[in-house]
Amino acid sequence: MNSSQLPREGVARVGRESPGPAVVPRASVAIGFGSPSQDSGVGRLDLNDVLIRNPQATFLMRVSGSAMREAGIDDGDIVLVDRSVQPASGHIVIAIVDDEFLCRRLVTQGSSLRLVATDPSCADFVPRAAQELQVWGVVTNAIKAMPV
Amino acid sequence: MFALVDVNNMYVSCERVFKPSLNGRPVVVLSSNDGACIARSNEAKDLGVQMAQPWFQVRHLEREAGLIALSANFELYGDMSSRMMTIVGQYAPRQQIYSIDECFLDFDGVRGDLVEIGRDIRRTVLQWTGLPTSVGFGPTKTLAKLANHIAKTADRKPGSYPAVLAQVCNFGAMSRAELDAVMGTTEVGCVWGIGRRIGARLTEAGIHSVRDLVNTDIAALRSQFSVVLEKTLLELRGTSCLDLDDTPAGRQQIMCSRSFGSAVTELAELEQVVSDFASRVAEKLRQQGSAAGAVHVFITTSPHRKQERQHSPSMTVPMVRPTTDTRELAATATRALQQMYRPGFNYVKAGVMLVDLHAGGARQGELDLFAADKPMAQAEENRDRAQLMGALDALNHRFGKGAVRIASAQQGRGMHASAGKQERRSPCYTTRLDEIALVNT
Repeated sequence: MNSSQLPREGVARVGRESPGPAVVPRASVAIGFGSPSQDSGVGRLDLNDVLIRNPQATFLMRVSGSAMREAGIDDGDIVLVDRSVQPASGHIVIAIVDDEFLCRRLVTQGSSLRLVATDPSCADFVPRAAQELQVWGVVTNAIKAMPV
Repeated sequence: MFALVDVNNMYVSCERVFKPSLNGRPVVVLSSNDGACIARSNEAKDLGVQMAQPWFQVRHLEREAGLIALSANFELYGDMSSRMMTIVGQYAPRQQIYSIDECFLDFDGVRGDLVEIGRDIRRTVLQWTGLPTSVGFGPTKTLAKLANHIAKTADRKPGSYPAVLAQVCNFGAMSRAELDAVMGTTEVGCVWGIGRRIGARLTEAGIHSVRDLVNTDIAALRSQFSVVLEKTLLELRGTSCLDLDDTPAGRQQIMCSRSFGSAVTELAELEQVVSDFASRVAEKLRQQGSAAGAVHVFITTSPHRKQERQHSPSMTVPMVRPTTDTRELAATATRALQQMYRPGFNYVKAGVMLVDLHAGGARQGELDLFAADKPMAQAEENRDRAQLMGALDALNHRFGKGAVRIASAQQGRGMHASAGKQERRSPCYTTRLDEIALVNT
């Protein structure tokens, strides 16, 4: 995971919890907080707070394929996709191409848009003029399981 | 001022978020085990598919018109509902969740251009969740509901109403004459609380449009119809009779929710509340002679106490088979609560909703099995064979092999025991890690 993708300042306290869906690895968060006191501010770090800025708009997806490996996203990883983030050039996005979800880096130059894979053997996807590029959401984090 | 916000074709819209190929195509969602169409995309409506129509009656459209049928996935709908409700609830001081896909907001004391606020709600829910909504504003709940109907119809059928009313419609911002014109072209049956029977009686009495009803003498109405209709009339004239929390039972779901006087943090206290709510909805369920296929439970902290940590989980649990049993429903609701609850949060509201309602009440499973025997008996008597085939097709679609086995064997009910393993069911994209959407690279 790129360190610049780690939580920005203030992230930990923003946003609301949501049930199952936004819970990342469930087992690690189900135990709850050490102190029910609101004022002390002492509570075990919660990955929901750390990783998810907007729980209502955040969805999990499973990655298939390795064309984005150099961006830190590999086959089998789980990506967190935040639909409330406005897509911008450089973002890793989930686009809809031929009715399927496709994970690519969004690159804009002037008025032209491209979806670029990190694997150079993968051709860029350039939407035809008539067809609008549909971005489903913006990837904010990738979670990879290590062999243990 | 009240607003009614609801999701257009909720169940179909939830499916489309995760399966873009469903966009622009006729789609219906079938109830979990009686094979009726409980949600239709606009394209399916245009094909003539009726609400609650049995699948076997429209099945021919699968081949003829590309109609796509999916089994209901209440886990998915429940979670998407919870997201949408949480977003919408932040726009007004008070919110009443009325059903899985609609809520009232009370904008009392809120300043600003309500149409702009409505458009912002719509835009935000669409971007964050992918769900399209309609928003109606009115000085009473009945008028807000009617405004919502007009917002939706104006959007779906261009030309039916002025285009400016599409998606977001605020009766409060319309002139007397504009309102009159809109009500003149809206059938009286579109009014909240006027069912098919009363609608027909009103039409017989010469009351066709909403305007006709509004202009009806209230005393004359009282002598012929119930006091409920009188309330409806008063509401249509702008006199509020229904408070935010008044909730007539819906036909598709039964809901009980309440804000607490003061915040609740203890699990035991929440269990009491949830179990109590479950008993009440179960009672309503039996009164209307239905059985419930799934229970939706939510608890929520206050979005308006911004300095406090927020936790607003919800869970939809399918029953192994539809039930009317208070104990089963309460136990299921309580177990869902125990899974969601986390200590240290100030919960201010809870709710229990029964969804996936089936007509026929308690012995649904057994009755359905008898229904399967019946056509076979008829076959032996060489009765209408075509009808038999249609019925058998429908049964196959209703149950699938797994569902029939569950109904007869009465397996134990686990937290995620699924009510009938339907082949047409989409993955639980947001509630089960092994079913999240796949993205290619």
